Amino acid sequence: MHNLSTVIHFEIVRTLKKKSFWIMAIGFPVMMAVIFGISFLSSKATDDAAGNLKNQHFSIEVTDDSKLVNSTLLASVKAKTISTKEQGISDVKNGKVDSYIYYPTDFSKSSIEVFGKNVDIFNNSRYEDVAKYLLTTSVGMNTSQKIKNVLTEKFTVASTTYRDGQVYDPFKEMIIPGVFLVLFYLLIAFFGNQMLTSTIEEKENRVIEMILTTIESRTLIIGKIISLIVLALFQGFVMIAPAIIGYIVFHNQLNMPWIDLSALPLNASRISIAVVIFFASLLLFTGLLVLIGSSVPTAKEAGSFIGIVMLLIFGPLYAVTLFISAPNSPLVTALTLFPLTAPVPLLLRNAVGNLQSWEVAVAIPVLIISAAIVIALAVRTFRYGALEYSRKLSLKEILGKR
Amino acid sequence: MDDIISIKNFSMSFGKTEVIKNLSFEVKRGETFGFLGSNGSGKTTTIRALLGMYVPTSGTLNINGAPYSVSGSTRLGYLPEERGLYKKESVIDVMVYFGQLKGLSRSEAYEKSMNFLSRVKLDDKANIHVEKLSGGQQQKIQLGITTMNDPELLILDEPTKGFDPVNRKLLMDIIKEHQEKGATVMMVTHQMEEVEEMCNRIILLKNGMSYAYGTVEEVKAHFGGKSLNDIFLTVYGDENNEEAVNA
Repeated sequence: MHNLSTVIHFEIVRTLKKKSFWIMAIGFPVMMAVIFGISFLSSKATDDAAGNLKNQHFSIEVTDDSKLVNSTLLASVKAKTISTKEQGISDVKNGKVDSYIYYPTDFSKSSIEVFGKNVDIFNNSRYEDVAKYLLTTSVGMNTSQKIKNVLTEKFTVASTTYRDGQVYDPFKEMIIPGVFLVLFYLLIAFFGNQMLTSTIEEKENRVIEMILTTIESRTLIIGKIISLIVLALFQGFVMIAPAIIGYIVFHNQLNMPWIDLSALPLNASRISIAVVIFFASLLLFTGLLVLIGSSVPTAKEAGSFIGIVMLLIFGPLYAVTLFISAPNSPLVTALTLFPLTAPVPLLLRNAVGNLQSWEVAVAIPVLIISAAIVIALAVRTFRYGALEYSRKLSLKEILGKR
Repeated sequence: MDDIISIKNFSMSFGKTEVIKNLSFEVKRGETFGFLGSNGSGKTTTIRALLGMYVPTSGTLNINGAPYSVSGSTRLGYLPEERGLYKKESVIDVMVYFGQLKGLSRSEAYEKSMNFLSRVKLDDKANIHVEKLSGGQQQKIQLGITTMNDPELLILDEPTKGFDPVNRKLLMDIIKEHQEKGATVMMVTHQMEEVEEMCNRIILLKNGMSYAYGTVEEVKAHFGGKSLNDIFLTVYGDENNEEAVNA
C-alpha cells in the first residue's frame, strides 16, 4: 500500500511537470475559444457591414420591379432609380457607377441581381449586403415590430412532453448522462497515447531491472493505471470547465440556445449507470493500452497499435443512428455486450434511454470482469516482457503458462 | 557462516538453447563473492533467475532459504548490468522515489540521497535532469540507489565498468564500507585486480557451467599459482580464439 501511494504520487507529479500535459490540456479549450472567437467576429463583421451601410462610399443604381424598396431609403443612400436592367449593367460595365441592383417582380421566381465594379475578393460582397439591407429595411418600415419578430423568428416556444403522466424532456434527460460519453471520448482521444506509452519508459530507459527487484510489478502497474485515470480526469476537467464557463458567459454572443443548467433533470438511475459504465470502460481501456505498451519494446512500436484500439472504441459511432432507431437489433446488442466495443453503445444508449435493464445487468459485469482480466494480463506481460528490450511478446507468450 | 545465496542444479534454456547447465554454488553470509566469466557465459542470466526475473528451467535459486520476492524480508541492493534511470526527472526525485520504494520515509530518502551525492561530489547536480549527467555520473547515482537501504545483500553486475581509476577507487571504497558494515557482496567483474583485492571466494563460469569454484587461493592453486588475470586468459582465451575463428 505504501509503495502504491509512492508510485501514484511519483507518476502524477512527474506528469504534471511535463509541458506536453499542459499544452494538451489547455490547448483544447484555447483552440475552441479561437474557433468560437472567429465565428463570433465573423458574424459581428457581417452585422457591422450591413449596419455601416451609410458609411459605404460607392454609387448605386436600382431598378425595383417588386415595388417593395422604399424610395426615401434609396435617397438616403444616394441610390439612383433607373428603368431598365440593361442600362444598369451597361453603366457598371462602362464605369459610370460602382453598382447596380435589380429587384425582380416576384422573388420566388427570380433572384435579386447585383452587378458591381470589382473591388477585391473580400469586399465584393458589399453590393449584395446593400441589396439585402435595402429590401429588408424597406419591408420592415411598413411592418409592425410584432410581425417583424415573427418573421425573423425572434420568439421562443416552451414545449412540455409527458411520459407516464410525468413531465419528460428526452433531450434534457440525456444531457448529464451524455456528458460521460463526451468525457470518455475526450479522455481516450487525448490521453490514449500517454496510457499506451506509460510502461515503455521503464524499458527504454533500462530502469526495469531495478524496478522489478524493488517493487511488485502488480503494484507498479496498478499504481500507473490509477495515476493515469486521475490525470485523465484532471485533464478532462481542465478541458471542459472553460467550455462550460464560456457557454454560460458568452452563449448570447455566440447565438447558442440557453439551457438552464440548474433546471436539468437529474435521473439518478441513469446517471449512476453512466458513472459505473464510464469508470469500468476507462479502467478496461487504460488496462488494454498499458497491456499493449508492456508487450512492445519501444514507443514507436506501441504507436502502431493506437489506431486499432481507437477503431474498437469509436468504430461503433458509425452505427449511431442504429443505436437510436433500432436499439433491439442483433448488431446493436452485440456491440453493446462485447466489452471492447461496449463503452460507446452503452453510454450513448443509456443517455438516450433505450438501454434495457437486462443489458445493463449483463454488460456492466462483463466490462468489470474484462477490465480485471486485462489488468492481470498487463501485470503479467510487464513482469515477463520487461526484459525483452528488442522484441514484442507474442499473444502465446502473454497467455502462456509460466 | 550460513549461506545467504544457494543455487542448486540450476539449468536455464531459451527455446532450444540451454544457456545454463546444472549450476550449483553458494554465497556465504558476510563474504564478498566474485561471479566471473567471459561475456555470454551466463552470469547475468543466473542473477536474473536468482532475483525472480526469469523462471528457471530446473533447479532452485534461493536467497535466505527461499526464492527471492520483493515483498520478502531480504534487504537487497541490485546494480544491474543494464544501466538506466528515469532520464527526464531530476536526480534527487529519482533517488527519493527509489528510496521510498525501498521502504524509507521521504525525509530519510532525501537525507541519504544528499549524503551520497555529497560523497560522490554530485551534490550540485541534485536538481538536474538525469539525462544531463554523463554516463559515469549516472552510474554513481545508480550505485547510490542500490545502497540506499543499507542492503544485507549487494548484487553488483560490473559496478565499475567504464570508470576512470579515480572514480573506480571511489566506488570500490563505497562498496567496501558496506562490506565492513556486514553486507554480503556478490560481484560480477572483469577486473581481476578488483577480485584479488575484495573477494573471498569466486566461481568461474564457462558455457553456462561451473569451471572453477572456491576461495581465491584454492582457485589459484588449482591453476598452478597463476594470477587471476592469467587464469582468466587461460580459461577463456581459447573461447575467444574459437569465436574469432568462427566469426
